[in-house]
Amino acid sequence: MKTENEHESVELVDGAVVRQFARAALLAALMGAAVVATIPYPLSPAPVTLQVLVVFLAGLYLGPLWGAASIGLYLAAGAAGAPVFSGMTGGPGVLLSEPTAGFLWTFPIAALVVGLVVHRGLALRDPADVPLATVVAGLTAGLILTYVGGTSWFAWLIGTSLTEAAVAVAIPFVPADLLKMAAAIVIVRSGAIDTV
Amino acid sequence: MLPYEPDDTLAHRLDPRSKLAVQMGFAIAALSHTTPGALLACTLLTGAIMVTTRVPLGRTLAAYRVALVVLVAGPLVTTLSLGSPWLDPSEGVGPALASYRALLVLLVSAAYVRSTPVRDSRAAIQRTIPGKPGRLLGAGIALVFRFLPVLRADLRTIREAMAARLGTERSALERASTTGVLGLSRAFTRADRLALAMQARCFSWNPTLPTLSFSRVDVPAFALAGALVLSVLL
Repeated sequence: MKTENEHESVELVDGAVVRQFARAALLAALMGAAVVATIPYPLSPAPVTLQVLVVFLAGLYLGPLWGAASIGLYLAAGAAGAPVFSGMTGGPGVLLSEPTAGFLWTFPIAALVVGLVVHRGLALRDPADVPLATVVAGLTAGLILTYVGGTSWFAWLIGTSLTEAAVAVAIPFVPADLLKMAAAIVIVRSGAIDTV
Repeated sequence: MLPYEPDDTLAHRLDPRSKLAVQMGFAIAALSHTTPGALLACTLLTGAIMVTTRVPLGRTLAAYRVALVVLVAGPLVTTLSLGSPWLDPSEGVGPALASYRALLVLLVSAAYVRSTPVRDSRAAIQRTIPGKPGRLLGAGIALVFRFLPVLRADLRTIREAMAARLGTERSALERASTTGVLGLSRAFTRADRLALAMQARCFSWNPTLPTLSFSRVDVPAFALAGALVLSVLL
Protein backbone atom coordinates (compact mmCIF):
# COMPACT_ATOMS: atom_id res chain seq x y z
CA MET A 1 0.00 0.00 0.00
CA LYS A 2 1.31 3.46 -0.89
CA THR A 3 1.36 5.99 1.93
CA GLU A 4 1.63 9.77 1.69
CA ASN A 5 5.30 9.45 2.60
CA GLU A 6 6.17 7.16 -0.34
CA HIS A 7 7.35 8.69 -3.60
CA GLU A 8 8.31 7.20 -6.96
CA SER A 9 11.12 9.69 -7.56
CA VAL A 10 13.08 12.50 -5.93
CA GLU A 11 12.11 16.01 -6.97
CA LEU A 12 15.29 18.02 -6.34
CA VAL A 13 15.16 21.65 -5.25
CA ASP A 14 16.86 24.00 -7.72
CA GLY A 15 20.43 25.02 -6.75
CA ALA A 16 19.73 28.78 -6.75
CA VAL A 17 16.73 28.24 -4.48
CA VAL A 18 18.78 26.06 -2.10
CA ARG A 19 21.43 28.81 -1.74
CA GLN A 20 18.91 31.56 -1.04
CA PHE A 21 16.91 29.27 1.23
CA ALA A 22 20.00 28.32 3.28
CA ARG A 23 20.93 32.00 3.66
CA ALA A 24 17.36 32.86 4.66
CA ALA A 25 17.31 30.07 7.25
CA LEU A 26 20.67 31.10 8.73
CA LEU A 27 19.67 34.74 8.84
CA ALA A 28 16.50 33.68 10.67
CA ALA A 29 18.70 31.82 13.17
CA LEU A 30 20.92 34.93 13.46
CA MET A 31 17.78 36.95 14.20
CA GLY A 32 17.00 34.48 16.98
CA ALA A 33 20.57 34.59 18.29
CA ALA A 34 20.51 38.42 18.26
CA VAL A 35 17.91 38.36 21.03
CA VAL A 36 20.78 37.87 23.51
CA ALA A 37 23.07 40.42 21.78
CA THR A 38 21.92 43.39 23.81
CA ILE A 39 23.33 46.89 23.91
CA PRO A 40 23.15 48.80 27.18
CA TYR A 41 20.40 51.41 26.95
CA PRO A 42 19.06 53.21 30.02
CA LEU A 43 15.65 54.40 28.72
CA SER A 44 13.96 51.07 28.17
CA PRO A 45 12.33 48.55 30.53
CA ALA A 46 13.12 45.69 28.12
CA PRO A 47 16.67 45.07 26.86
CA VAL A 48 17.50 46.61 23.46
CA THR A 49 18.65 43.92 21.04
CA LEU A 50 20.22 44.04 17.61
CA GLN A 51 17.13 42.40 16.05
CA VAL A 52 16.00 45.46 14.09
CA LEU A 53 19.50 45.55 12.54
CA VAL A 54 19.02 41.95 11.39
CA VAL A 55 15.63 42.88 9.84
CA PHE A 56 17.40 45.68 7.89
CA LEU A 57 20.14 43.27 6.79
CA ALA A 58 17.51 40.73 5.63
CA GLY A 59 15.97 43.28 3.25
CA LEU A 60 19.39 44.57 2.16
CA TYR A 61 21.16 41.29 1.47
CA LEU A 62 18.39 38.77 0.73
CA GLY A 63 16.08 41.12 -1.16
CA PRO A 64 12.35 41.63 -0.68
CA LEU A 65 11.13 38.05 -1.15
CA TRP A 66 13.77 35.99 0.64
CA GLY A 67 14.30 38.72 3.22
CA ALA A 68 10.63 38.65 4.20
CA ALA A 69 10.64 34.84 4.01
CA SER A 70 13.63 34.74 6.34
CA ILE A 71 12.00 36.88 9.02
CA GLY A 72 8.77 34.90 8.53
CA LEU A 73 10.79 31.75 9.17
CA TYR A 74 12.11 33.30 12.38
CA LEU A 75 8.53 33.94 13.55
CA ALA A 76 7.45 30.40 12.59
CA ALA A 77 10.38 28.83 14.45
CA GLY A 78 9.51 30.96 17.47
CA ALA A 79 5.88 29.88 17.26
CA ALA A 80 7.06 26.25 17.14
CA GLY A 81 8.83 26.83 20.47
CA ALA A 82 12.37 28.03 19.64
CA PRO A 83 13.56 30.45 22.35
CA VAL A 84 14.00 33.33 19.89
CA PHE A 85 11.71 36.05 21.24
CA SER A 86 12.64 38.70 23.82
CA GLY A 87 13.81 37.15 27.08
CA MET A 88 14.53 33.88 25.20
CA THR A 89 10.90 32.77 25.08
CA GLY A 90 9.00 30.95 22.36
CA GLY A 91 5.64 29.38 21.62
CA PRO A 92 2.56 30.45 19.66
CA GLY A 93 1.20 32.54 22.55
CA VAL A 94 3.98 35.11 22.21
CA LEU A 95 2.80 35.99 18.70
CA LEU A 96 -0.85 36.01 19.79
CA SER A 97 -0.72 38.05 22.95
CA GLU A 98 2.68 39.53 23.78
CA PRO A 99 2.30 43.31 24.16
CA THR A 100 5.15 43.91 21.71
CA ALA A 101 4.11 41.22 19.21
CA GLY A 102 3.01 43.97 16.78
CA PHE A 103 6.70 44.66 16.14
CA LEU A 104 7.28 40.97 15.44
CA TRP A 105 4.36 40.82 12.97
CA THR A 106 5.59 43.90 11.09
CA PHE A 107 9.25 42.77 10.87
CA PRO A 108 8.71 40.62 7.71
CA ILE A 109 6.82 43.49 6.02
CA ALA A 110 9.63 45.88 6.99
CA ALA A 111 12.21 43.52 5.44
CA LEU A 112 10.03 43.38 2.30
CA VAL A 113 9.82 47.17 2.09
CA VAL A 114 13.56 47.67 2.71
CA GLY A 115 14.27 45.09 -0.02
CA LEU A 116 11.82 46.60 -2.51
CA VAL A 117 13.16 50.14 -2.09
CA VAL A 118 16.86 49.21 -2.11
CA HIS A 119 16.72 46.65 -4.94
CA ARG A 120 13.98 48.49 -6.89
CA GLY A 121 12.18 45.22 -7.58
CA LEU A 122 12.75 41.52 -7.16
CA ALA A 123 16.17 41.18 -8.87
CA LEU A 124 19.03 41.62 -6.37
CA ARG A 125 21.77 44.18 -6.78
CA ASP A 126 24.79 44.85 -4.56
CA PRO A 127 23.61 47.25 -1.82
CA ALA A 128 27.10 48.87 -1.81
CA ASP A 129 26.38 50.19 -5.35
CA VAL A 130 22.96 51.61 -4.42
CA PRO A 131 22.90 55.42 -3.82
CA LEU A 132 23.07 56.24 -0.11
CA ALA A 133 19.81 58.22 -0.25
CA THR A 134 17.95 55.15 -1.54
CA VAL A 135 19.33 52.98 1.27
CA VAL A 136 18.39 55.58 3.89
CA ALA A 137 14.89 55.93 2.39
CA GLY A 138 14.39 52.14 2.45
CA LEU A 139 15.57 51.76 6.05
CA THR A 140 13.48 54.72 7.22
CA ALA A 141 10.36 53.33 5.56
CA GLY A 142 10.98 49.95 7.20
CA LEU A 143 11.54 51.50 10.62
CA ILE A 144 8.42 53.69 10.47
CA LEU A 145 6.39 50.65 9.45
CA THR A 146 7.56 48.66 12.51
CA TYR A 147 6.65 51.59 14.78
CA VAL A 148 3.17 51.83 13.26
CA GLY A 149 2.63 48.07 13.63
CA GLY A 150 4.07 47.86 17.14
CA THR A 151 2.20 50.89 18.45
CA SER A 152 -1.21 50.00 17.03
CA TRP A 153 -0.94 46.39 18.27
CA PHE A 154 -0.07 47.57 21.80
CA ALA A 155 -2.94 50.11 21.77
CA TRP A 156 -5.40 47.42 20.60
CA LEU A 157 -4.22 44.68 23.00
CA ILE A 158 -3.89 46.72 26.17
CA GLY A 159 -6.69 49.14 25.30
CA THR A 160 -4.70 52.37 25.50
CA SER A 161 -4.76 55.34 23.16
CA LEU A 162 -2.21 55.42 20.30
CA THR A 163 -0.27 58.23 22.03
CA GLU A 164 0.01 56.30 25.29
CA ALA A 165 1.07 53.22 23.32
CA ALA A 166 3.74 55.21 21.49
CA VAL A 167 5.05 56.56 24.81
CA ALA A 168 5.25 53.01 26.20
CA VAL A 169 6.73 51.01 23.31
CA ALA A 170 7.96 53.24 20.48
CA ILE A 171 9.34 56.66 21.44
CA PRO A 172 11.88 55.40 24.05
CA PHE A 173 13.45 53.20 21.37
CA VAL A 174 13.90 55.82 18.63
CA PRO A 175 17.54 56.72 19.50
CA ALA A 176 18.57 53.05 19.73
CA ASP A 177 16.87 52.26 16.41
CA LEU A 178 18.54 55.23 14.69
CA LEU A 179 21.84 53.79 15.93
CA LYS A 180 20.96 50.43 14.33
CA MET A 181 20.03 52.23 11.11
CA ALA A 182 23.43 53.94 11.11
CA ALA A 183 25.09 50.56 11.75
CA ALA A 184 23.24 49.06 8.74
CA ILE A 185 24.50 51.93 6.57
CA VAL A 186 28.09 51.43 7.80
CA ILE A 187 27.79 47.70 6.97
CA VAL A 188 26.43 48.43 3.46
CA ARG A 189 29.12 51.03 2.68
CA SER A 190 31.89 48.67 3.89
CA GLY A 191 30.97 46.32 1.01
CA ALA A 192 32.12 43.40 3.18
CA ILE A 193 29.13 41.17 2.41
CA ASP A 194 28.00 39.85 -0.98
CA THR A 195 24.52 39.00 -2.15
CA VAL A 196 24.04 35.61 -3.86
CA MET B 1 13.93 29.32 28.67
CA LEU B 2 11.12 26.76 28.30
CA PRO B 3 12.06 23.59 26.45
CA TYR B 4 10.06 20.56 25.34
CA GLU B 5 10.11 17.91 28.07
CA PRO B 6 9.29 14.25 27.35
CA ASP B 7 6.41 13.12 29.56
CA ASP B 8 3.20 11.11 29.46
CA THR B 9 0.56 13.78 30.10
CA LEU B 10 -2.68 14.07 28.12
CA ALA B 11 -1.24 17.02 26.19
CA HIS B 12 1.80 14.96 25.17
CA ARG B 13 -0.51 12.34 23.64
CA LEU B 14 -2.50 14.88 21.59
CA ASP B 15 -1.80 15.54 17.93
CA PRO B 16 0.09 18.88 17.56
CA ARG B 17 -2.65 20.17 15.26
CA SER B 18 -5.35 19.82 17.91
CA LYS B 19 -3.06 21.54 20.44
CA LEU B 20 -2.55 24.42 18.00
CA ALA B 21 -6.33 24.58 17.51
CA VAL B 22 -6.87 24.84 21.29
CA GLN B 23 -4.16 27.52 21.52
CA MET B 24 -5.74 29.58 18.73
CA GLY B 25 -9.25 29.08 20.14
CA PHE B 26 -8.10 30.13 23.59
CA ALA B 27 -6.37 33.25 22.26
CA ILE B 28 -9.45 34.24 20.24
CA ALA B 29 -11.76 33.68 23.24
CA ALA B 30 -9.47 35.45 25.74
CA LEU B 31 -8.79 38.45 23.50
CA SER B 32 -12.47 39.00 22.69
CA HIS B 33 -13.67 39.18 26.33
CA THR B 34 -12.43 41.48 29.09
CA THR B 35 -15.24 41.06 31.63
CA PRO B 36 -14.04 39.78 35.03
CA GLY B 37 -16.37 36.74 34.70
CA ALA B 38 -14.90 35.69 31.35
CA LEU B 39 -11.39 36.22 32.70
CA LEU B 40 -12.20 33.98 35.67
CA ALA B 41 -13.35 31.24 33.27
CA CYS B 42 -10.18 31.69 31.21
CA THR B 43 -8.08 31.54 34.41
CA LEU B 44 -9.72 28.26 35.45
CA LEU B 45 -9.16 26.79 31.97
CA THR B 46 -5.52 27.97 31.97
CA GLY B 47 -5.04 26.39 35.40
CA ALA B 48 -6.55 23.10 34.19
CA ILE B 49 -4.34 23.08 31.08
CA MET B 50 -1.20 23.88 33.10
CA VAL B 51 -1.92 21.21 35.70
CA THR B 52 -2.67 18.48 33.14
CA THR B 53 0.47 19.38 31.18
CA ARG B 54 2.56 19.71 34.40
CA VAL B 55 3.85 23.18 33.50
CA PRO B 56 5.93 24.68 36.36
CA LEU B 57 4.29 28.10 37.05
CA GLY B 58 7.28 29.77 38.71
CA ARG B 59 9.77 28.84 36.00
CA THR B 60 7.30 29.83 33.28
CA LEU B 61 6.72 33.29 34.79
CA ALA B 62 10.49 33.72 35.16
CA ALA B 63 10.96 32.86 31.47
CA TYR B 64 8.36 35.44 30.42
CA ARG B 65 9.75 38.17 32.74
CA VAL B 66 10.46 40.64 29.92
CA ALA B 67 6.85 40.36 28.70
CA LEU B 68 5.66 40.73 32.30
CA VAL B 69 7.50 44.04 32.66
CA VAL B 70 5.78 45.42 29.55
CA LEU B 71 2.40 44.00 30.63
CA VAL B 72 2.69 45.88 33.93
CA ALA B 73 4.08 49.03 32.29
CA GLY B 74 1.10 49.32 29.90
CA PRO B 75 -1.64 49.81 32.53
CA LEU B 76 0.71 52.03 34.58
CA VAL B 77 1.22 54.42 31.65
CA THR B 78 -2.57 54.81 31.22
CA THR B 79 -3.08 55.74 34.90
CA LEU B 80 -0.70 58.69 34.49
CA SER B 81 -2.01 61.91 33.02
CA LEU B 82 -0.37 65.22 32.19
CA GLY B 83 -2.19 67.45 34.67
CA SER B 84 -4.53 67.10 37.61
CA PRO B 85 -5.22 64.52 39.01
CA TRP B 86 -1.87 63.17 37.62
CA LEU B 87 -2.68 59.66 38.78
CA ASP B 88 -6.06 58.09 37.97
CA PRO B 89 -6.17 54.39 38.92
CA SER B 90 -9.65 53.87 37.39
CA GLU B 91 -8.15 54.56 33.93
CA GLY B 92 -5.83 51.60 34.40
CA VAL B 93 -8.46 48.94 35.20
CA GLY B 94 -9.36 48.11 31.58
CA PRO B 95 -5.73 47.90 30.43
CA ALA B 96 -4.82 45.83 33.54
CA LEU B 97 -7.52 43.26 32.69
CA ALA B 98 -6.29 43.27 29.08
CA SER B 99 -2.72 42.67 30.27
CA TYR B 100 -3.91 39.82 32.45
CA ARG B 101 -5.63 37.95 29.58
CA ALA B 102 -2.46 38.35 27.50
CA LEU B 103 -0.55 36.66 30.33
CA LEU B 104 -3.06 33.76 30.30
CA VAL B 105 -2.47 33.19 26.57
CA LEU B 106 1.29 33.08 27.23
CA LEU B 107 0.80 30.46 29.96
CA VAL B 108 -1.32 28.25 27.67
CA SER B 109 1.40 28.58 25.05
CA ALA B 110 3.95 27.35 27.60
CA ALA B 111 1.88 24.17 27.85
CA TYR B 112 2.14 23.75 24.06
CA VAL B 113 5.92 24.22 24.13
CA ARG B 114 6.41 21.78 27.01
CA SER B 115 4.31 19.05 25.39
CA THR B 116 5.28 19.27 21.70
CA PRO B 117 8.60 18.10 20.20
CA VAL B 118 9.96 20.33 17.43
CA ARG B 119 9.67 17.68 14.69
CA ASP B 120 5.96 17.30 15.47
CA SER B 121 5.44 21.07 15.13
CA ARG B 122 7.38 20.97 11.89
CA ALA B 123 5.28 18.09 10.55
CA ALA B 124 2.06 19.85 11.63
CA ILE B 125 3.06 23.06 9.82
CA GLN B 126 4.17 21.16 6.73
CA ARG B 127 0.90 19.18 6.61
CA THR B 128 -1.26 22.25 7.18
CA ILE B 129 0.41 24.59 4.66
CA PRO B 130 0.21 22.92 1.25
CA GLY B 131 2.78 22.79 -1.54
CA LYS B 132 6.32 24.08 -1.79
CA PRO B 133 5.99 26.97 0.73
CA GLY B 134 4.96 24.43 3.39
CA ARG B 135 7.94 22.22 2.56
CA LEU B 136 10.44 25.08 2.77
CA LEU B 137 8.82 26.37 5.97
CA GLY B 138 9.05 22.93 7.60
CA ALA B 139 12.69 22.43 6.61
CA GLY B 140 13.53 26.05 7.49
CA ILE B 141 12.14 25.74 11.02
CA ALA B 142 14.26 22.64 11.57
CA LEU B 143 17.35 24.56 10.34
CA VAL B 144 16.65 27.52 12.65
CA PHE B 145 16.49 25.15 15.63
CA ARG B 146 19.71 23.45 14.51
CA PHE B 147 21.71 26.63 13.89
CA LEU B 148 20.40 28.79 16.74
CA PRO B 149 23.00 27.52 19.27
CA VAL B 150 25.75 27.68 16.60
CA LEU B 151 25.06 31.32 15.73
CA ARG B 152 24.66 32.22 19.40
CA ALA B 153 28.14 30.81 19.97
CA ASP B 154 29.36 32.82 16.94
CA LEU B 155 27.98 36.06 18.39
CA ARG B 156 29.49 35.25 21.78
CA THR B 157 32.89 34.63 20.17
CA ILE B 158 32.66 37.94 18.30
CA ARG B 159 31.76 39.84 21.46
CA GLU B 160 34.53 38.19 23.48
CA ALA B 161 37.07 38.92 20.77
CA MET B 162 35.93 42.55 20.67
CA ALA B 163 36.13 42.84 24.46
CA ALA B 164 39.65 41.35 24.46
CA ARG B 165 40.72 44.10 22.00
CA LEU B 166 39.16 46.85 24.15
CA GLY B 167 36.15 46.98 21.79
CA THR B 168 34.01 47.86 24.81
CA GLU B 169 35.74 51.26 24.87
CA ARG B 170 34.52 52.05 21.36
CA SER B 171 31.33 53.82 20.35
CA ALA B 172 28.00 51.96 20.34
CA LEU B 173 27.75 52.50 16.56
CA GLU B 174 31.12 50.88 15.90
CA ARG B 175 30.27 47.95 18.14
CA ALA B 176 26.88 47.39 16.54
CA SER B 177 28.22 47.57 12.98
CA THR B 178 31.21 45.31 13.74
CA THR B 179 28.94 42.74 15.38
CA GLY B 180 26.58 43.00 12.39
CA VAL B 181 29.26 42.57 9.70
CA LEU B 182 31.01 39.68 11.45
CA GLY B 183 27.79 37.96 12.52
CA LEU B 184 26.22 38.17 9.07
CA SER B 185 29.34 37.16 7.12
CA ARG B 186 29.86 34.15 9.39
CA ALA B 187 26.18 33.20 9.02
CA PHE B 188 26.35 33.51 5.20
CA THR B 189 29.59 31.48 5.03
CA ARG B 190 27.86 28.75 7.01
CA ALA B 191 24.78 29.07 4.77
CA ASP B 192 26.80 28.62 1.57
CA ARG B 193 28.49 25.50 2.98
CA LEU B 194 25.09 24.24 4.16
CA ALA B 195 23.56 24.80 0.70
CA LEU B 196 26.33 22.70 -0.88
CA ALA B 197 25.85 19.97 1.71
CA MET B 198 22.07 19.99 1.21
CA GLN B 199 22.45 19.65 -2.56
CA ALA B 200 24.97 16.83 -2.09
CA ARG B 201 22.31 15.06 0.01
CA CYS B 202 19.56 15.56 -2.62
CA PHE B 203 17.52 18.23 -0.77
CA SER B 204 14.13 17.59 -2.35
CA TRP B 205 10.56 18.83 -2.48
CA ASN B 206 9.23 15.42 -1.38
CA PRO B 207 11.04 14.24 1.77
CA THR B 208 9.88 11.67 4.33
CA LEU B 209 8.14 13.13 7.39
CA PRO B 210 7.18 11.65 10.74
CA THR B 211 3.62 10.35 10.52
CA LEU B 212 0.96 12.27 12.45
CA SER B 213 -2.42 10.76 13.22
CA PHE B 214 -5.47 11.92 15.12
CA SER B 215 -6.69 9.63 17.90
CA ARG B 216 -9.78 9.57 20.09
CA VAL B 217 -8.27 12.03 22.63
CA ASP B 218 -8.09 14.66 19.87
CA VAL B 219 -11.88 14.82 19.53
CA PRO B 220 -12.50 16.60 22.87
CA ALA B 221 -9.52 18.90 22.17
CA PHE B 222 -11.07 20.01 18.87
CA ALA B 223 -14.46 20.35 20.55
CA LEU B 224 -12.85 22.62 23.17
CA ALA B 225 -11.16 24.69 20.45
CA GLY B 226 -14.49 25.04 18.61
CA ALA B 227 -16.34 26.00 21.79
CA LEU B 228 -13.70 28.64 22.58
CA VAL B 229 -14.03 30.18 19.11
CA LEU B 230 -17.84 30.16 19.37
CA SER B 231 -17.67 31.85 22.78
CA VAL B 232 -16.80 35.04 20.89
CA LEU B 233 -20.50 35.23 19.93
CA LEU B 234 -21.59 35.31 23.59
